[in-house]
Order: sequence, then structure tokens, then C-alpha cells
Amino acid sequence: MQPVTRTIDTPQGAAKWTRRQGALDALFRGTTTFFALFVLFLLGAVILALVVGALPALRHFGFGFLTSDAWNPVTEEFGALAPIYGTLVTSAIAMAVGVPIAFGIAVFLTELCPPWLKRPFGIAIELLAGVPSIIYGIWGLFVFAPFLQSTLQPFLVDTLGELPVIGALFAGPPLGIGVLTAGLILGIMVLPFITAIIRDVFETVPAILRESAYGLGATTWEVVWKIVLPYTKLGVIGGIMLGLGRALGETMAVTFVIGNAHRISASLLAPGTTISAALANEFTEAVGDLYVSSLIALGLVLFAITFIVLAISKLLLTRLQKRAGS
Amino acid sequence: MHGYIDTKPRPASNGTKANGALAAAPKVKIEIKDLRFYYKDFEALKGISLPLYDKRVTAFIGPSGCGKSTLLRVLNRIYELYPDQRATGEVLVDGRNILDPREDVNLLRARIGMVFQKPTPFPMSIYDNIAFGIRLYERLSRPELDERVESALRRAALWNEVKDKLRQSGLSLSGGQQQRLCIARAIALKPEVLLLDEPASALDPISTAKIEELINELKSDYCIVIVTHNMQQAARTADYTAFMYLGELIEFNETTVMFTHPNKKQTEDYITGRFG
Repeated sequence: MQPVTRTIDTPQGAAKWTRRQGALDALFRGTTTFFALFVLFLLGAVILALVVGALPALRHFGFGFLTSDAWNPVTEEFGALAPIYGTLVTSAIAMAVGVPIAFGIAVFLTELCPPWLKRPFGIAIELLAGVPSIIYGIWGLFVFAPFLQSTLQPFLVDTLGELPVIGALFAGPPLGIGVLTAGLILGIMVLPFITAIIRDVFETVPAILRESAYGLGATTWEVVWKIVLPYTKLGVIGGIMLGLGRALGETMAVTFVIGNAHRISASLLAPGTTISAALANEFTEAVGDLYVSSLIALGLVLFAITFIVLAISKLLLTRLQKRAGS
Repeated sequence: MHGYIDTKPRPASNGTKANGALAAAPKVKIEIKDLRFYYKDFEALKGISLPLYDKRVTAFIGPSGCGKSTLLRVLNRIYELYPDQRATGEVLVDGRNILDPREDVNLLRARIGMVFQKPTPFPMSIYDNIAFGIRLYERLSRPELDERVESALRRAALWNEVKDKLRQSGLSLSGGQQQRLCIARAIALKPEVLLLDEPASALDPISTAKIEELINELKSDYCIVIVTHNMQQAARTADYTAFMYLGELIEFNETTVMFTHPNKKQTEDYITGRFG
């Protein structure tokens, strides 16, 4: 054995070592703080750019920008109501379709699926999440929309369309493309995200809690509905909100199938537009400062809607957390 | 006010009082015959045959991995939640083989209550924790349900501690209270058999004493099976004890006999702490 003399064994060495460590620590803290602040800076810059860009339109139209459904580039009359309506309605349809199906898939995967099928299923869902939105758009335009035009839409017109009040939602010719088609495509697109999150949070339920419920003689449905879901409600809501956030902002696929008409129709079968679809469609051909500014103002509105959704979900979560804690 | 005595009519007992002489042969509630259990290809129980008596406490003891929890988990078929586990042989409850696939597993589990090692209150109020199981099988009016919840909590010696906070979350209780809540939840269904899987191993000594006291109270009505690591606990609570080792039943006898004059060397070694 050779005697080893280390630098830190001498007082001077130890002091030097401490100084060096302190400097490294400070450097590390400084760097990470900078990165964190940089995100805030970027966010601020984006908001600022949107506000500055939108200012001419907002000044010109005032609050009426939000309440008018006019959109006429020739007379330079712009209002955001139609795209806002389209955005909200397509997202609502997407949630109405996507959430129950995602819940069903997650229940199957966590409670009922034979183990050898679990992995292939899981991978398929992750692949579905990885499909680029342009692919959904092309598929939607060339396959899904014609399919709906010849099957679901005539069926809806003939059945629900005949009913007194909700009939208006399913009136008019089956065009294939339109608000309903866009909503359904969105539903399919957010499905894998919501499914993956619900599945993951379902798997956090302790086996012993499940066993206790089954041990009382509960069926799978009763265990999922009364034990698993209450136990994981925070995560499930979070997953749904994430899906909603994606649906609100999704551009490409929607642009392909929604029809891009700046109008609000009672019928879900009619063409419409969403904020992101309008932006994607019209930025290249926007001439005139007011036109461009109006489009940027649309972007600002989308930003605000997404922010509100996020804020509401956070509020909801904290309220639930408080109640769970009491 | 309800007493601690369950007024539910029971099949005629054999006449012995719970704490009376054990010499008179008690009624057999569950007859286990040549039970074998497999985790995939691993044989965890190697042909167990054993009677479990009504209105008696039977303890399963043995070192970790001996199969005592596995045996317990066969009795309400909870193992079936896991696809790689299977059992062969017969488990006759009142003469009917519950391992028969035609037996309704949910009804079986309602008849055979189970309490786990760790307390598992459901994420709901104390009241709803108890009412959960009742609601699965019975449509009761509000006053009837209130009464059932109260009597279950009383039987589990928890009523006085929670009667003013029935609407609070079951998770807000202490560990020992949570475990008694789980016992109350199990007996609220009026089961015939109570399976306890190391019910006190996660609890402090005072809570443990309360649980053991409770077991003594409850055995006048149920066939109770308890898995325990704790030899003193088996000696204190059980009328019969089964000693298991490596998936085999080494010895089964009245607890007093087992702990004073074990028949097998292995049993004696384990009880005296020489191995395991």
C-alpha cells in the first residue's frame, strides 16, 4: 500500500477546494436560472409581438372584433366570431367523441386486456399519437370526409335532422367536409394523448386498493367507476385538459376538412372555420395592414382561449385537491 | 341504540360458546382438499388439506414465502385478478366447491370478506366506505343504510371515534382506525368468513391490541382466518394454528397444543425461533 496524500488533507488545499466548489455551484445556479428566465422572456416576447401586431385591428374594430362574424377582405371588414365559434364547437365535438372512447380504451388496457396484448396495444396508441397532423388532414379529406358524406351524414340528416329542436344541428346537404368532420378528426387526433394519460394514471392505483374493492365482490365496472376513477380524477382531468389544449390549437388537419367558410351555421354539417385554420389559410394572401393585423388579433384570441382553458383546469385541480385533503 | 351484539340470525351453532371448551368438535365451515397453487410454473402450494372451523379463529403461520398468504388468497379467489395464477384441488365452503368456475365469484367475495396487510380505505367518505359494499348488493332506504353503517362501525369498535365525522374522507383517519374501517367495511356485508392477511403488521402496538380484541369479539359470529408473522399474535388470537413451510402444511392443530407440544421438529424449531 502506498500512502496517498490528497490536496484536501492540507488546510490550504481544503480552502482552495471549498472556493472552487462554491464557484462551480454559483455558475451552475446562474446558468439554470438564466434558462428558466429565458422561457419567461420568450413567453413575454410572444405576447408582446401578438399584442403589437393586433393593435391596429383592435383599434379599428374595437370590442366589435370579438362579436362580429363579418370577414370581408375586399371591404376590409373583419370580425373574429365565426372562427372563435368554429374553434370552440370543433373542440367540443372532439372532446365529446374522444374522452369516452379514450376512457374505454384505458379501462380495457388496465383492467381487462390479457397481458400479451397490452404491449402491442400500448405501442399502437403511441404510434397513433406520433402520426403527423398533415397525414390526418390528407386522410380526412380524401377518405374520411367522402366516407362520412355517404354514410354518417345522410343518416344524421334523416334521423336526428327530423327532430324538432336539435334537428337544426343536422340540417342541410351532407357535404362531407364541415364542422362535424373537423370535430371528429380532432377527436381521433386527441384520442391517443388522452388514452395514454388516463392509462398511466389508472396504473398508479395501488393493486391492494383494487383487490379490496374486488374483495367486496365489486365488478370490474364498479371498481373502475367508483374506486379507480375517484382515486385518479386529478390525473384524468389533467389528461382531458391536455387533449383539449391540443384540439383548440390543431391546425393542419382541421384546415383540410372544415371547409374554411367564415360563417356561423346552425348545422354542424355546414362548412366553417377555426382560428388556426383561418390563420394557416390566409396569411400568405393577406394584403393590407388591417387584414394582417386582424389575423394576428385572431392569434391573440386563440392564445387567450388556451390560457383560459389552462387556468380553469388549474383552478379545478386545486379545488379538487383541497377537497381531497380535507 | 344498537348493542355490540349482531342480531342477525345465524345457523344453529354446535352449542359451544366462543370462549368455551374447544373439545366439542366445531362445525367445519371450509374444507380445503389437496389444494395446489401455481404462479406460472412455480408450485406455491403443494397439496394442502385442511379444515377451517366456523366461529373459530384459525391462524396460518410460517416463514415468508411459505404460501400462507397465497392460501388465504385462494379462499375468495382474489388471485384470479392475475392471469398467471391458478389453483387446482377443492375448497368446499359449506360443501360447495368454490373453485368451480361456475361459482359466481362476486357473490363468493361478498360472502367471504377480506382485510389486507395495509389499510386500504377507498377515496371517499367514511360513511361511503362502509356503504360501498352494501350498495353493491342491496337496495336499502336511507335509514336502513344508516343503521347498517352504524352497526358495522360499532362492531369494528370504531363508531365512537368517527360518529361525528362520517362525511370526512376515510383517508383522514389514523392507520389503526383505517384498518378497523376496512374490517367494518368487510363485516358490513354480513359475510360468513373473514380473511385477515397480516391485518396488524403495519400498525403500532396499541392499534394491534385493538385489532386483536376485535378478532376475539368477532369470532362468535364468523369463521375467521388470519395470516400472521407474529407468533404471539397467533397464540393470543387463534383457536387453531396451521404451520406452513415451503408450500406445504407441516402441522395443523389446536393452538394450545401446537404451542406447547408440537408434533413436528420443524414446527418446534419455528415456534421457538430457531429458524424462519
